[in-house]
Amino acid sequence: SSGATYPNIPLSSPLPGVPKPIFATVDGQEKFETKVTTLDNGLRVASQNKFGQFCTLGILINSGSRYEAKYLSGIAHFLEKLAFSSTARFDSKDEILLTLEKHGGICDCQTSRDTTMYAVSADSKGLDTVVGLLADVVLHPRLTDEEIEMTRMAVQFELEDLNMRPDPEPLLTEMIHEAAFRENTVGLHRFCPVENIGKIDREVLHSYLKNYYTPDRMVLAGVGVEHEHLVECARKYLLGVQPAWGAPGAVWMLTAQWHSTRGGSSRWRETCQMSALRPPRFQSSHIYGGARELLLLEEDFIPFAVLNMMMGGGGSFSAGGPGKGMFSRLYLNVLNRHHWMYNATSYHHSYEDTGLLCIHASADPRQVREMVEIITKEFILMGRTVDLVELERAKTQLMSMLMMNLESRPVIFEDVGRQVLATHSRKLPHELCTLIRNVKPEDIKRVASKMLRGKPAVAALGDLTDLPTYEHIQAALSSRDGRLPRTYRLFR
Amino acid sequence: QAAPQVVLNVPETQVTCLENGLRVASENSGISTCTVGLWIDAGSRYENEKNNGTAHFLEHMAFKGTKKRSQLDLELEIENMGAHLNAYTSREQTVYYAKAFSKDLPRAVEILADIIQNSTLGEAEIERERGVILREMQEVETNLQEVVFDYLHATAYQNTALGRTILGPTENIKSISRKDLVDYITTHYKGPRIVLAAAGGVCHNELLELAKFHFGDSLCAHKGDVPALPPCKFTGSEIRVRDDKMPLAHLAVAIEAVGWTHPDTICLMVANTLIGNWDRSFGGGMNLSSKLAQLTCHGNLCHSFQSFNTSYTDTGLWGLYMVCEQATVADMLHAVQKEWMRLCTAVSESEVARAKNLLKTNMLLQLDGSTPICEDIGRQMLCYNRRIPIPELEARIDAVDAEMVREVCTKYIYGKSPAIAALGPIERLPDFNQICSNMRWTRD
Repeated sequence: SSGATYPNIPLSSPLPGVPKPIFATVDGQEKFETKVTTLDNGLRVASQNKFGQFCTLGILINSGSRYEAKYLSGIAHFLEKLAFSSTARFDSKDEILLTLEKHGGICDCQTSRDTTMYAVSADSKGLDTVVGLLADVVLHPRLTDEEIEMTRMAVQFELEDLNMRPDPEPLLTEMIHEAAFRENTVGLHRFCPVENIGKIDREVLHSYLKNYYTPDRMVLAGVGVEHEHLVECARKYLLGVQPAWGAPGAVWMLTAQWHSTRGGSSRWRETCQMSALRPPRFQSSHIYGGARELLLLEEDFIPFAVLNMMMGGGGSFSAGGPGKGMFSRLYLNVLNRHHWMYNATSYHHSYEDTGLLCIHASADPRQVREMVEIITKEFILMGRTVDLVELERAKTQLMSMLMMNLESRPVIFEDVGRQVLATHSRKLPHELCTLIRNVKPEDIKRVASKMLRGKPAVAALGDLTDLPTYEHIQAALSSRDGRLPRTYRLFR
Repeated sequence: QAAPQVVLNVPETQVTCLENGLRVASENSGISTCTVGLWIDAGSRYENEKNNGTAHFLEHMAFKGTKKRSQLDLELEIENMGAHLNAYTSREQTVYYAKAFSKDLPRAVEILADIIQNSTLGEAEIERERGVILREMQEVETNLQEVVFDYLHATAYQNTALGRTILGPTENIKSISRKDLVDYITTHYKGPRIVLAAAGGVCHNELLELAKFHFGDSLCAHKGDVPALPPCKFTGSEIRVRDDKMPLAHLAVAIEAVGWTHPDTICLMVANTLIGNWDRSFGGGMNLSSKLAQLTCHGNLCHSFQSFNTSYTDTGLWGLYMVCEQATVADMLHAVQKEWMRLCTAVSESEVARAKNLLKTNMLLQLDGSTPICEDIGRQMLCYNRRIPIPELEARIDAVDAEMVREVCTKYIYGKSPAIAALGPIERLPDFNQICSNMRWTRD
């Protein structure tokens, strides 16, 4: 029996005969240093070292729903689900997973509105294999009929699950983007519309990939790797490679990056009110009032992030002890005063060229009007006096959130990759902390006032019988006190 | 001859025991943030029918003020530091931890010491908290997975302490008194049963000095005997809650496995990885290392499944949680049991090799960030009284082979009567005897 060969020693006692570990030691504070090299074809290679025997590396591409204006909506979502399927060198997804497992690796693809990431976490010793595999996955997918059929099903299931989820957040996020940016850039649907699932095929995908999966729109990023070694691997697998869809040719012109008009045009300022009636599923009504930050400049990004922290909020019932933002405005002014509200949370969605600061609120449908007014008043107050103590608290919390998130290797990977993709360099955590520390009350007032001069976007979900009209919400947001215009009705 | 050595790119876990028995354990990665917390060998298992819910109630009272700080002072202090304070109670452990900037470590330890030793436990706050806990109970009831796991414990460990819920029944939440809380602390919050664990930017010597200062003269060992761990017998049995109005059926099926330190636990973890997890949005290609995933995907048998191996000191539950449509409940369960029988009789060497790799990967990748590392340290110190070095863990996993998986699975699964919890449209779920008979290999 094999029972005899297996150590019959409880886990509380050391196993004899195991090699003695020699541990690493820390000399002072961890140093952050991001190195960037650009290859001859324009592809950027970025790296960052880190403790641990594992590394996270991957390819980030300027691709996502925002680039689908001239394509079928849903391609990026479709590609996300298709990722890590068979390639020129690997016959199946299973073969890819097996190869990775030998290096203790796992893989994942994530698409957001503006970036697609193909990432692998694995033992650092497998670097060469992993970069080779990533290059093949990104540039030489086979996209077989069978895989496309499987993907159609997976997308369909994901959409179904999305509609069955008790949490309305993903749907509301989709709706507020649509309201704020209409049928353009980040306002395009992140999820594949049901009617497009059957239309997306190999040809459609190839024409999209040809335009967007080009070396100058890619970054190979690695955390926990030697920079020189990573560059060497990049040269070997990502330079002078002809992708499966052929060389990028004249078609390039089609890229027609709509966002290059940079959000200033008045056409874009048009806003729509979206409402969907789904009373059976949501017993509460949700509104998602947002205001666009137009022309998101770097100097505004940090104050907005601080403002978002200052607004804070959360659920009226939420787990967790102190530290969840109990002294943020949405707790102090909203949730602590109006116990009938279920939720009031501030969200900050930021993109390369634009952004959204939103407040999500929910309550019983009978109190929708009151809820909207409470939120519009909070928007107006953003442009008023900022208390120094609350500002300092928000700044400290933003810094701690930043540094705590950056404890995680995949988060560092994403931060390195996204920054290098957007700006060709990386602002290091301590540099960001300095920018945060320098935010003054005037900065908050400046960005908030600028935001409030734009047109608002509203998304609402649930029983919306008593929801004020868009014009009334807009009027409230341009008023001095945030009050909704009085409506006179004879019968109520 | 010198012992073989292996060089690791991870820092060492340093452990020191104070005179009062409190253990201090930490891993220093030099970053600018850290996690520090108290892991206490006490949870709902130490409660009886009358005071079930006390450990959890106590966790709620921890942030309600101490002799030194009012609730408001505590909240402001934590929020202004950009820190987080959190706590959770399980059946066997109670945990209080803080995340903070590394420079604030001394303050974080002082606050933790204050809340577990000097909590006011004011009558007015206790009254107020009853409502909060009852509200939390409603939240838990909307999470069907948690409901099913509570049912599973209730049936598998019926009439024992592990069968009770962590929150306790409504009557108890309404009646637990200040005295119950104080008694629980004085009985269980003792040096030898507490671990002060930390990870991130933490220097062990500094942590040790802080521990001596804040805990050294208190939390002394038990005067009498350490309260005995009540034995919890497993009973193969079932709970069915049929509700045809629910859109999906939620089921958990488990057999009795082993406690934390049992040598067979590693092999059962490999078996658990062989069954794996699946969600229908993964599609067909994903997670092909799981045969069950292939079967359920091609047969459209369920929406998702998740294998689990929940360990306690001297027992454990090994099984599967699944969510299916009404029409596929029976076929899904049949596929699961067939796959379990295959583990006992015919699992191949290549499958096992793959599962071993996956298990190592999952374990190691989890250790990302100061909080997961600190949790690992705290939990392992309570369960194993040491932190198992990574090479040893790998060696233990490497030692598993297919024959052993078959042998160990046969020992714990084959012919055993399972505990079952089922909720929703479960009309088609076979009867208990039928399910039991499928715990043996039958050809079809």
